[in-house]
Formats: sequence, C-alpha cells, structure tokens
Amino acid sequence: MTFEPRIVGFLCNWCSYAGADLAGVSRISYPPNIRIIRLMCSGRLDPVIILETLAGGADGVIVMGCHPGDCHYVEGNLQAERKIRMLKKLIARTGLEPERLRLEWVSASEGGRFAELVKDFTSQLKKLGQSPLAEEKPDTKILAGVLAAKATAADFRLRVLVGKEKGLIEDANVYGEKVPEEELDKTMEEAIDAEYLRNRIYLMTKDEPLSVKELSKRLDLDPKAVLRHIVVMRRRGLVAIDRVEGTTPFYTALKVE
Amino acid sequence: MESEKAVLVIGGGIAGIQASLDLAGRGLKVYLVESSPSIGGRMAQLDKTFPTMDCSMCILAPKMIECFRHPNITLLTYSEVQEVSGKAGNFSVKVLKKPRFIDETRCTGCGECAQHCPIEVYNEFDMKLGIRRAIYVPFPQAVPLKYTIDDEHCIKCRLCQKTCRAEAVDFNQQPQTISLSVQAIIVATGYELFDVQRLSEYGYGRYKNVLVSLEFERLLSASGPTGGHLLRISDGRIPRKIAFFQCVGSRSLKGGVSFCSSACCVYATKEAILVREHVPECEVYIFYNDLKVFGKGFQEFVTRAKDDWGIKYIRALPGEVIEDSKTGNLTLWYEDTIENLTKDMKVDLVVLCPALVPRVASKELASVIGLELDENGFFKSKDPLFAPIDTNVPGVFTCGYCQGPKDIPESVAQASGAAARAAEVIALGASREAH
Amino acid sequence: MERAEEETPRIGVFVCHCGINIGGVVNVPKVVEYAKTLPNVVYAEDNLYTCSSEGLSKIKEGIGKYNLNRVVVASCTPRTHEPLFRATCEETGVNKYLFEMANIREHCSWAHMHEPEKATEKAKDIIRIAVAKARLIQPQKEPEIDVTPSALVIGGGVAGMTAALSLAEQGFRVHIIEKEPELGGTLRHLHKLYPTMQDASDALNQIIKAVESNKNIEVSTSTTIKEVKGFIGNFEATVQKVNGEAANLRVGTIIVATGADIFEPIGMYGYKEYGNVITQLQLEQLLKDGQLKKWERVIMIQCVGSREEKGRTYCSRICCMTALKNAVLIKELLPDTDVYILFRDLQTYGGRYEDYHRMAQDRGIKFIKYLQEKPPTVVSAENGKLTVNVYHALLGEQVTISGDLVVLSTPLTQHENAKELSQFLKVPLGSDGFFFEAHVKLRPIDFATDGIFVCGTAHSPKDTAESVSQALGVASRAAIPMAVKRLRTEAITAMVNENLCSGCGTCVKLCPYGAIEKDAKGVARVTEVMCKGCGVCGASCPEKAISMRHFTDEQVTAQALAALGRLTA
Repeated sequence: MTFEPRIVGFLCNWCSYAGADLAGVSRISYPPNIRIIRLMCSGRLDPVIILETLAGGADGVIVMGCHPGDCHYVEGNLQAERKIRMLKKLIARTGLEPERLRLEWVSASEGGRFAELVKDFTSQLKKLGQSPLAEEKPDTKILAGVLAAKATAADFRLRVLVGKEKGLIEDANVYGEKVPEEELDKTMEEAIDAEYLRNRIYLMTKDEPLSVKELSKRLDLDPKAVLRHIVVMRRRGLVAIDRVEGTTPFYTALKVE
Repeated sequence: MESEKAVLVIGGGIAGIQASLDLAGRGLKVYLVESSPSIGGRMAQLDKTFPTMDCSMCILAPKMIECFRHPNITLLTYSEVQEVSGKAGNFSVKVLKKPRFIDETRCTGCGECAQHCPIEVYNEFDMKLGIRRAIYVPFPQAVPLKYTIDDEHCIKCRLCQKTCRAEAVDFNQQPQTISLSVQAIIVATGYELFDVQRLSEYGYGRYKNVLVSLEFERLLSASGPTGGHLLRISDGRIPRKIAFFQCVGSRSLKGGVSFCSSACCVYATKEAILVREHVPECEVYIFYNDLKVFGKGFQEFVTRAKDDWGIKYIRALPGEVIEDSKTGNLTLWYEDTIENLTKDMKVDLVVLCPALVPRVASKELASVIGLELDENGFFKSKDPLFAPIDTNVPGVFTCGYCQGPKDIPESVAQASGAAARAAEVIALGASREAH
Repeated sequence: MERAEEETPRIGVFVCHCGINIGGVVNVPKVVEYAKTLPNVVYAEDNLYTCSSEGLSKIKEGIGKYNLNRVVVASCTPRTHEPLFRATCEETGVNKYLFEMANIREHCSWAHMHEPEKATEKAKDIIRIAVAKARLIQPQKEPEIDVTPSALVIGGGVAGMTAALSLAEQGFRVHIIEKEPELGGTLRHLHKLYPTMQDASDALNQIIKAVESNKNIEVSTSTTIKEVKGFIGNFEATVQKVNGEAANLRVGTIIVATGADIFEPIGMYGYKEYGNVITQLQLEQLLKDGQLKKWERVIMIQCVGSREEKGRTYCSRICCMTALKNAVLIKELLPDTDVYILFRDLQTYGGRYEDYHRMAQDRGIKFIKYLQEKPPTVVSAENGKLTVNVYHALLGEQVTISGDLVVLSTPLTQHENAKELSQFLKVPLGSDGFFFEAHVKLRPIDFATDGIFVCGTAHSPKDTAESVSQALGVASRAAIPMAVKRLRTEAITAMVNENLCSGCGTCVKLCPYGAIEKDAKGVARVTEVMCKGCGVCGASCPEKAISMRHFTDEQVTAQALAALGRLTA
C-alpha cells in the first residue's frame, strides 16, 4: 500500500484560506492529504511552530499567504517569506529534506491553484517518502537535529536578524547606500551555522558530558570549530566544565533561567 | 409620524456598496436595491484591477459579505425601484421585488437544486461565454447566496423542488411591492458596454475571434468559463498574437459617443499583462489614439507594461477587420500615424475596448425620480465643479460611473461623498425636528 | 450573564449535514460518535442545517442543557457564518471567542466528493483540530474607546473647506488650520476653472464665506502642526501660529488636505533664462490680472518635468485641460493670436473634456504631438522672439515655430510640508511624493492608521470637481467613528510580557500600524486599540515576549499536532 503523506497547511484568513474555500465551492477535487490550520496572517507563523510540526511527524508543511502586495496587513506575507527562507537553511543542516517545507502565494480567487498545489505537494511527498520523523521509530539523528533547529529558531540571535532584516535593508536605501542584501545573507548563513551547532552541542551535552573530541566526531566537525563554539557558549553561560580526565575537559549543558 | 432615518441606495456595485457601508457604519438604516440577483456589479466580473493587479473578487467579497451581515442594511436584490415621490427628508418609494421562486428565508445556498436542473443557459455573468442552469446563482460568491429561477428558461419540471431539502422552491411566488420611507436617495447604477455590433467594420458578432473587453476579462478569470486558461472560444487554441483596439465607439462623432471612458487604456494594459502572464509567448499589441495615463499609478503601470512585459503600443486606430473563415484568424488594417504607413497585421484574437456607457435602464430610473440626464446619459450634476454629487432633485445624490466616467478608487471616494451628502440631509431634518 | 470561563472546558460539538452537501459524502453520525471521544467534549450532535433558526436553537439548547462553555460547529467555512454562530453563543452567555469552527464542507466534502471514506476520516481530523484549539481558547474582550466628536482639517483650500463644511452640516465641530494668512489654497491663484469657465475667485469667496459663517467651524490661519499624539477618537494635536502662540486641540479624527506645490522647471526649455518662457501658473496670473500682451504666437509645451523616465514619472492629470482652457481664453481675448499646444498624449478624459478639446480645435488652436524621446527645443531668436523646434510625430518631420511666448505645463508635486506632516502623523508618502492611502482601490481616502484621512491634491493631482468629491468622501469616512461615539476595536491583539522584553525594538519597526512603542522604561508597549492582530510581532519577537490573543503559540501548535493525530494532555 502506497503511503499517504500527511500534510499540515497553515493558511491566512484573507487570501489562501478563501482560495481553499473556492476550490471546494467549485467542486475541484484534490487529494485529501492536507489538514488546514487557519491563521489571520501568514506572518503570524513562528518558525518554531513549523519545526514542532515537522518534529511531530508531518510529511510536509505548506504555508500559504497572499500574493506580495495583497497582504491584508500590508506586509505580513513578506515577513513570512523571510522567516521561511531562514528556516529552509536551518532545516538543510538537520538532515531532514528542506523540500518538506513549502511557501506559496494563493489568492482568494485561486481555487484551482490551491488544488493544484495540494496535488503537486502530495505527489512530490509520495516520491520523497515518509518523513524520517513520522514512523513509529523516528530517526534519532534527524530528530536531534530538528530539536536543535527548534531551539535555534527560538533563540534571540536569529530571530533578531530575521526581524530586523527589512529595517536594515530599507534604512540603507534612505542614505542611498547600496543595499547590502548579499552581506545580510552572508551574516545570516554564518549565524545559522553557528547557532545551530551550538544548540546541537547544548542538547548533546545535556544528555551527558562530552569532550571536544567526542563532539567533533558526532558532529562531523573540525575540533577547532567545536572549541570555538564551546568558548562562546561558556561565555554565554550555556556550558561549563563537568570534569577533567587527564588533559581532556568534559563539558555539560547548564540549565538556563 | 417620526420615520426611522433611512437612505435608499439604488445599485449594488462597488459604489452602492461603499455608500451603504458608510451610512450603515454610522448608524443609519440603508435599503440597497439591486436589479440582478446579487450585489457586486462590474467589479465581480473583473479578474484583476489596475494598476495594483489586485484580485478583484478578493477585495470585493469581504465588502459584499459585510453588506449582507450588517444589521443596518436591508438588501433588496432582484428588485427595481418603481415609484418615487415626496421630497428631501421625506421620500416615499415603491420597490418591486421580482419573484425568484425561491423562499429566501429557507434557501441555504447549498446548490443541490442546480446540480439537478436540466436546462442550460448562457450566463450573463460570463458575458454569455459560460453556462449556468435555469436555477442559478450568478457567481459562486454571490451575495445573498440564494438561488434564483430564471422564469424565461425554466420548464417547470420541478426537479429542483424535489431535490431541495430546505423546501425553499416556491413556484407560486408573486412579485412583491415594498413601500419604503427614506430621507435621501443615492443613485449608483454603473455602466454597460456600448453595443459594438453597430460598428460593422470590426466584425463583432460575425467573427468568432473578435471579442469585447469584458468577455475577454471573463476568459482570463480563474472563475471564468475556461478556468482562466487563455483559449480561443472558437476552436480552443491558445492565441499567439492578440490585438486590442482602444476607443471603439468612443471619442467619435459618427455612430458612437463623444466622451472618453477614462478606464480603457489602463484596463487594456491590465488585460495585456494578464495575457503575457498566462501565455508568455503571446504577442500583444494595443492600438490607441491618446494614451490616457492621468490616474494615480497609471503612467508607471503602462511603462512597466512596455518595459517589463514587452507589450507593444501602436498609435493607430484600425479601420477594418477581416476574418479568414477557415482558421478564424483575423487580419486588420491600420494607419500607423507615427511611422506614417498603412499596414496590416494578422492576429489570432481581436479585443475591442468599447465605450462604457450609462445603463439603458438609467433613463427609466431618471424619469421615475425626475432626474435630469446629460447628453451622454449620465446623471446631471447640480454643479459640475462644486456639487458634482448633487442632482437636480434635492435629497437625491449620484456617484460612481453613472455620474461620469471614472475608475474604482474614484467611485469609492465619490460613494463616500454621496453618503456624506445624504447624512447632511438627515442631520438637517433632525435639527429641523428639534426646533 | 457570562459563565465562568476559567473552569474546565466543556465543549459541545455540532456537526452539520448541510442537506446532503456534507451528509451525502461524510458519514456524519460516525463523525459525531468520534467527536464524543475527544477530550473535554461533553456533548455532540448532528443537525440538518446548523445555520437555520432550528439549528441555532439547538446550539442554545445544548449550551443550557449540558452547561457548555465552549462550542465547536463543524460545517461550512467560517468566512461566512462564524459571526452568526458567535452571536448565538453570546446570546446564550458564552463569550463569542469561546467558539471555534471546523470547515468540513468547502475543505472536505465538496473537495473529496468521490472519496467518502477518506472524506469522513478527514472530517474527524478537522474536528479534532478544532477541539484542540477549543480546549485552550479564552474569553476575549473587544476594547471600547470613546470618540471625540470633532475633526481637525489640515489645509484650508477647496478640499479642506469642503470637507469641513460637510462635517459641520452633519453636526460635528471642525477645526481648520491653514498655514497661509488666508484660506483658499491653490484656487486663490487661478483665474477660470474648466470646463465651465467659472471664475475661481467668485466660487472661492462663496465657500470661504460659508466656512467663516458656520458656527461649527473654527478657522486658524498662519498656523501649522507642531506635534500629534494619540490614536483614533483621541488625538491631541499641538498647533502653533506664526507669532508663536500654541494651542492644544483634542480631536477624534484628522483630515489631511494640504494640497500640492507646482513644479518650477528651472533649467528646462529656457525657463528663467529667457523672459518670455513662463509656466501655466504664471500665465494664469497674467490672465487674472488682464496683463496680456499682443502676442503673435503662443506655444504651450505639455509634460514639462512629468511623465519622465526617472524621478517625476507620473502624469499630473490636469495640465492638458489647463493648457486647453488657457489657450481658449487667449483666443477669446486675442482672436488673432496663434496658439499651439505641443503634447505627448492629450489627457482629455471623462464626460466633458473631449468635447472641450473639439471646441478648442474649432477655435483654431493647433495641436502638435511630440514623442518622449524627441522633445522640443526652445532657443532665443532675434527681437526677443523664441524659436521652438519640434519633431511633429504625425507628420514625421521637424517643424520650426516662431513665437513670442512659450508656456510650460508643469506637474503638481509634493507639498513642501508633506514630509514633515507625514512624520508627525506617522502616515506614509508614496514613491511619487504624494500621501499614500490605505488601499489604492478600496480605501483610497483612508490612511492605514485609523482615524486619519486624506483628500484633494495632497493625495494626487486632480481638478476641482475631483477634489470636492474626495473631500465629501472624507467627510463621510471621518463622520463614521464620530457618529457612533464609541468604537469597538479588535479583540485579537498582541500582548507584551514586560518581564521578558529586552527592548530590542524589533516589534516597533515591524508593526504596520505603528501600534507598538517603547515606553519610558524602554519596554515595548502595545496600544491595543491600534493593533489589528496580524501576529507579525509575536512571530518575530526575539525574546518570545509577545503573545497573540486567540492565536497563541500553544493553540496553534496544539492544532498542528492534533492534525497529526496527537492531542496534548
């Protein structure tokens, strides 16, 4: 029996939810794999919720908002776009296929488009296969990655970068400076890398104290890079030395207030 | 006898809807009379609106629903104003509610009836390009979402009655006359398309691939007869070359109207962009005389159409269109006034942008209320500059296209203006009563 | 009489057949049985048409009989009947926000008509999702604010005065502030108005008299805005006269009617270089003062400094008709004078202007179309004359005309005080420099910020009739909140947990309505009556200090997990 993908859809009240309504009104058939959750705006969706949904075993998550320029709340959809762009980069590092997350624009009159998207996503997911987090026994490595991603998306640094993105790009315009979007992109990539690894380290050392060597093995990362992260995390009060064996310190995660 | 403060709004298009919502929103009672089974007017027939390319129904539907739900608004659809007497502050109105043969209090709009009706009719909403049943709603987002039986085509087989679980079908329904007492009246009856069949040189009505703009708009619409796929109705082929003719029956002293409809240059640009979005390989030519780009954002819209979308504007008004009866393709002749050459062009589809004229029915309405029309059939303003919304009858105001050619934002603003004037009449009446 | 909502949720689920629309595909009785098994569901039933009066009675009955404090209706899309069901709950003492809908028609039975088993399973899932949220929702209040029934009109031109008069006639108090020493705006500088050719000063004086004699209107000339605080219904504006006198005005609504400036084409076509190259406005003044010379030939050039490739890209709408009007006036006064109008596209739109154009042609005014890429040139010739060289687009050849006066038609531009005012009011300007409305099509004279409106040329170039229509329009828009006196605002708003807020200011910048500000302690504060509940701040806050009422993270997550078959404890 072919597996039936379970898709969770987050749709905005003003455009995409109405588009899904219209598909029904027009009696357009599409695969029954999607479960829709209504939000007022696609911009409402916190990346943490998306990761929670993927961790929960969803085979696919699709976020639908108004076409750029049509957002009922002016630019909420563009904020959603920024968040999901960051999220896809983050998910790519966890081992979970980033294609399991989609962002699409659907207007209230695009019933046909809504149905096509569900059809398309369903068949794409069928080919991709069930989510490694969906089975009775979820893939522990990927699950660890997604949980670390969740913690990363909830962290201050990435949230402030995504939240201030628009402001940083536009303020530059006022002074006539070249839009440093490439610069911002680079900063974002570096921040995602760094914070994701730090959260991986945190979760691992929460389970048991680990040495830099062991962390480097498990993360498949250069020990020098691991140590750099450890140093930052110590300064932030996230890890501390649990014990020293010979010349090798073992680090453990600290409880954060 | 102190009557409740109420305003009659005639016409359920965007102007009538806006005026009604403004009045209802401040606590006044509104009777919104619309001659077709649903409010929405022309905007409901549009796919997108210029220059923002907003989805028309998406921005219209919430307003329509608000009209339906608002406790201060009484919708009288499928109705017409028959008699008006009295004066500002005290009008007596008789409205004829045509029989839908459906009990509106029972119909839930579920649509089972239409699934069983054996009669198919070319539908007015799709400009007769699409099909509806004899029992129908004009479009899926109709407000009110109540079915109507088209008496002209119904064969009284009663299948609908047998299928309806809410027992809403009533073949004995009679026309109803409703008497209203209102303080002010707002006329917002909108427009229709100039009958281009009268201009035989374009072949409309004879050649299958010559369409008028509103028909073409329905073809482009996702909710239209082809589901938004750009196809020629004649043979189902995808067009590769389309020509738009501006000013058809406009700005002309022979056989047309002399005025400029104001919206056609930009709506043709809009439709041209939609063509390029749907079928990127399709070439689009817009034949124009003077490009009317005076509105907010219009010039930038046209510039984008030229630069980003590759739409070609030719300053010429084609004289004649000939059809190749085998293929249905068309050849048009024109004098390119810039290059100073007479040329011909072979295209797959010709879209005529005709003059938009006040509805023929406004003449009747004008005589019922005693309103003056100008030489073009628009409701005459008391003072074209300083009282554009007032008419020759105190207490009766006009807004939207029926007052003069304009686009949606101007109709909306003017509709609010009519609401303000109506509110002034009511305030005056109230202060008179107080003294 | 509200039931205690802090108790354990007692959810009632009402599943609709909708005739056979749902019932014909989904196995409704099975779904009802399933609903009963969900946590906190104490009652479930099915109805033929839940939205009918019988259906609504059954909801009321159920609430009473089973002591329900949460209601879930599984039927059609909430976009049509949610308000109806919410009202039914309120009438029975259940706060309207303790109601949730499960869309099992548009999103289920209608889309999967040929897969009844799968549709039934999907319907169960959809109801489970709704119940998951219903278990967590809390009662909400729609904050009410009083509205001061007076308006501030900024700008005393024809638009501002028309708006003020209408509002005054509707019974509201109006303050007009005008920065010049007298009322009138641009119309003061005009001679005749097209197409009626009525005298601008006569018309203006009538309006000014009406304004000055209206006891509901207070006029303050030589006055400008210094500061604006507050929100709809409760604005506080500090205004200052030229002599330094300041005053505080408490108003409910604000109307921007500040008009526009007129572009001066310095460096173009010999303007200010040659004495006989002037603007239409200057020509207007000459006509008004009766200071016409016996010009042999007058040449008008359209689109000077407008419809450009970059910069002022827009068409200023009124210049073509202004040129036509002035050309006709010149011909009337000097029948032997030749008048040429060099245009790109003649903007003679609407019901009357084409006829005016024809009349102008009949009077012998000559029209030459030129192309954007081949603009005319103006050079000085002997004995003070000017030589205009233009590529006649329709003849396809260069044409040289000698004239004694060249008149340049220039566009209206952003008013010199617009930028400052936009900052005081926190309302945006568009890329063309004019004020930017809430929605180009359906809210053309509102700002996104509630309670502030715009009309006249402050919004975009337009003529008198159009300004008057817009001015009457804002008189209606502003009257609405003032007439109802008390406004109910959105309940689904953002809440800041001050203990978590670190003052980063991300939310302040992101809010499209300017509803969040940092208070004196540097902590974010939401002005609830300005919040529209979009949720962007909540989703972006780096400290997770902001939560969205009725759409909390907990609720949305619970729905997502319920979609996957999991119900949190």
